[in-house]
Amino acid sequence: METISSRAVPTVQAEREAAIEAVGLCKSFKTPVVAQGRFSGIRSLFSREYTTKEAVRDIGFTVEKGDFVGYIGPNGAGKSTTIKMLTGILHPSSGSVRLAGIDPHRDRLRCASRLGVVFGQRSQLWWDLPVKDSYDILAHMYGVCDADKAKRLGEFAELLDLDEFWDTPVRKLSLGQRMRADIAAAMLHDPELLFLDEPTIGLDVNAKRNIRGFLKVLNEEFGKTILLTTHDMDDIEQLCRRVMVIGGGRLTYDGTVEGLRREIGLPTEIKVTYRAGYVLPRQGDDLIIAADSSFAMRIVSRTESTLTVEVNRQDVRTMDVLRELGQRGEIEDVEMREPDFEEIIRRVYG
Amino acid sequence: MNERRATDRQASLRNYIKLYLILIRTSVRSRMQYRFNFAFGTVLAAIIQLSEFLMIAIVLAKFGAVRGWTMHEVGYLFAVMTLAKTLYRTFGNEVHNLERYLVEGELDQLLTKPLPVLLSLLPRGFRIMFGEVIQGGAILAWSLGQMLHSGQISWWAIPQTIFAIVTGGVVLFAIGMATATCGFWTTRISMLQNMTEDAAQTAARYPLTLYPGWMSGLLLTAIPVGLVGYLPALYILRGELGLWVFPVLAAASCLVVLLALRFWKFGISKYQSTGS
Amino acid sequence: MISFRSNTRLYQTLAAKAYARNIQYRGSHLLHNFASAAFGYLYACIWIGLGRDHSLGDYGTIGMLHYITFTQTSLWVASFTTMGLGIPQSVRTGQIALDLMRPVHLFAHLMAKEWGQIAYQFLYKSIPIYIVMQLALGLTPIDGGRTLPLALTALAGAAYMAICMNYMMGISALWTTESSWLYWGNQALMNLLAGFFIPLEWLPGWLQTVAWASPYPFMLYAPTQFYLGKGDPVLLLGTLAWCAALTLLCMLSTKALRHKVEVQGG
Repeated sequence: METISSRAVPTVQAEREAAIEAVGLCKSFKTPVVAQGRFSGIRSLFSREYTTKEAVRDIGFTVEKGDFVGYIGPNGAGKSTTIKMLTGILHPSSGSVRLAGIDPHRDRLRCASRLGVVFGQRSQLWWDLPVKDSYDILAHMYGVCDADKAKRLGEFAELLDLDEFWDTPVRKLSLGQRMRADIAAAMLHDPELLFLDEPTIGLDVNAKRNIRGFLKVLNEEFGKTILLTTHDMDDIEQLCRRVMVIGGGRLTYDGTVEGLRREIGLPTEIKVTYRAGYVLPRQGDDLIIAADSSFAMRIVSRTESTLTVEVNRQDVRTMDVLRELGQRGEIEDVEMREPDFEEIIRRVYG
Repeated sequence: MNERRATDRQASLRNYIKLYLILIRTSVRSRMQYRFNFAFGTVLAAIIQLSEFLMIAIVLAKFGAVRGWTMHEVGYLFAVMTLAKTLYRTFGNEVHNLERYLVEGELDQLLTKPLPVLLSLLPRGFRIMFGEVIQGGAILAWSLGQMLHSGQISWWAIPQTIFAIVTGGVVLFAIGMATATCGFWTTRISMLQNMTEDAAQTAARYPLTLYPGWMSGLLLTAIPVGLVGYLPALYILRGELGLWVFPVLAAASCLVVLLALRFWKFGISKYQSTGS
Repeated sequence: MISFRSNTRLYQTLAAKAYARNIQYRGSHLLHNFASAAFGYLYACIWIGLGRDHSLGDYGTIGMLHYITFTQTSLWVASFTTMGLGIPQSVRTGQIALDLMRPVHLFAHLMAKEWGQIAYQFLYKSIPIYIVMQLALGLTPIDGGRTLPLALTALAGAAYMAICMNYMMGISALWTTESSWLYWGNQALMNLLAGFFIPLEWLPGWLQTVAWASPYPFMLYAPTQFYLGKGDPVLLLGTLAWCAALTLLCMLSTKALRHKVEVQGG
């Protein structure tokens, strides 16, 4: 745990409270064992056997005010469980959470009024009522006065185009409209901290762009601290300064997006076009070994006039690669392709 | 400092009451979006109630008395139980429906709100149960009327009965809440509700002397549905026991609801949410 | 036109799957049986209490205990079927449009599934409840169980009728979101008109007329009369006639459903 939190997280300054501080979070679920075999039905009634599933094991991190953090991991890795512990829905089996210094479990009500939560799969709006009515109710719930409500909704309406479905019952909204309405609802009481669980799930490109734009404004102009989970790597690349990866209930990476790229060490592809063909020392071999044997590169594909190779730029400088390839023929053009973020994630999840 | 905390608490209580009323208005408005369904549900609820009553009425018409309880007295038990249950289901129905929230993960949403969970949960199930009120009220009026006419009871019986219905509603709510709380461990609660709510309420529509001692004992203590109609009826209709029945009912209903609330709070801290 | 006979293998598979799906929960279902038996015991207590002060007609107290035992047991076959055969749920999720596109008639498809469910409930609910209540009330099977074949035949007919009725209730979900009320209404009528708690001959005359004009007496009362050794086998003809009539109604309501789904697009 210490290795994780010391790697990328700055130490908490005494005079400033961190937006989120999680220490040694664990959550295990108990499920009764289903007995097998004869009379199993009756036996399982009286059996006290349980299997314990550790959904989250010893997760710790600190998020500073104004940060924008992406929280990613494969299904079932413990993302939602973590979010639910952070927001006070689930009690951790051990460990502690502080949101701006407040314990969301001991002081759930006080904490709840300071954070906004959006579940992509579920709406917090009133299903059968027009969108604007939900805002009226939420304003009462969070004690937002009429002037503040009008001012904020005015801002949100402009950024999220709420006007087009202001009077529509929530059940008749499209998924994208509903999501926009839901995010506005979560921000109505002007919380410092916003949690979003898969906010772009199932949305089309336009709706995604709209929502990302809004989140960016919230973070950059209003200084809100945001933590989101997602499976969409564009969300991470376009929004997040920091990314945390969870796998098997443990935090496996915590740092910048570029850092993650580096850490995985995926090869860069370099495609060289030769003016008049090229010569390889031995035909049919997949590897090109440098003249001084200091490195090797793998050939991905080749045609009459082009050669594509893979190198790990952690180990080799691009200049060395080009010099080496230049000896095979006269180079006309060079193309480089950085590893795809999707590919990185596939490696991380794998 | 203490004084300020007291006024704070007062302010937040006032705020909670206001919010409760807003949420109730909201759920009535939501329901009224489906007028036809509302009317349809009301009519069918009345039919269900009527057929339940007919079951008892036929028995009474055929046999006259049950273990020394006259037709009117059993009708009274039935009516008080119906009205107490209506009270519980009008204001506390969502406790009965908790399984749905647990299975579908709806409870997560409520837990992110700056309100006690019960306060955001209960108004969602608020409904006006015309069918039950009319049916229960009619049977109560009939049985009380007959007994007033025959001089078995005095007009005092009316306020006393209203008191019994209110405490009865509280007791049923407490039983419902305690049963629902078990759902935080088991998720599925309909089976348990079958025993502690449906079967127990059905049992308490008849004089408890029908049942073997262990069972009537159970119905007065562990699942105290006997407190709803039977115990007050012993005094109000039959002059047994004594006036002390009323303070006992008040104390018992407060006690069970406080115990149930305690249990509820403990249960919520064990809430496991749904997967993923 | 979709053939019904085309696919007996499919129906068998559907039924087997429904049965197997339940098997995994049999632990908690066995617990549920205690609740159900407790209910039955409660009703028995009422009859015992009544029997102490009154004569219980042709039945006598013991006869009424047999009566209640058998009706309580039969509920799991004739009454506690899947609410609307699951149609309301598939209407809510829009699955219904897909179900209608399958090359199997919706009614046949859902019925096959429900038979699996009923078979499971008979084995893991009815039989345990029957045994528990016999033990708790100190009864032995009537006539050493010789009346059972006829009673169970009538009960199988009742199960078929229950499937038909639930099918139609399920279809109503396309017109109202409150179709669960119909299910509960049906349960209430079962209690009253099928003679679940009170033998039909004790109902007031007008209510008896209403009851016998409905299929309900054939769902619990008739099988129970056979069980008690009282029923005239001619009653089975009534069961048969209602099965045929309800099947026809189901076919007609499927037509209405198809029309509705095509008009509003699911």
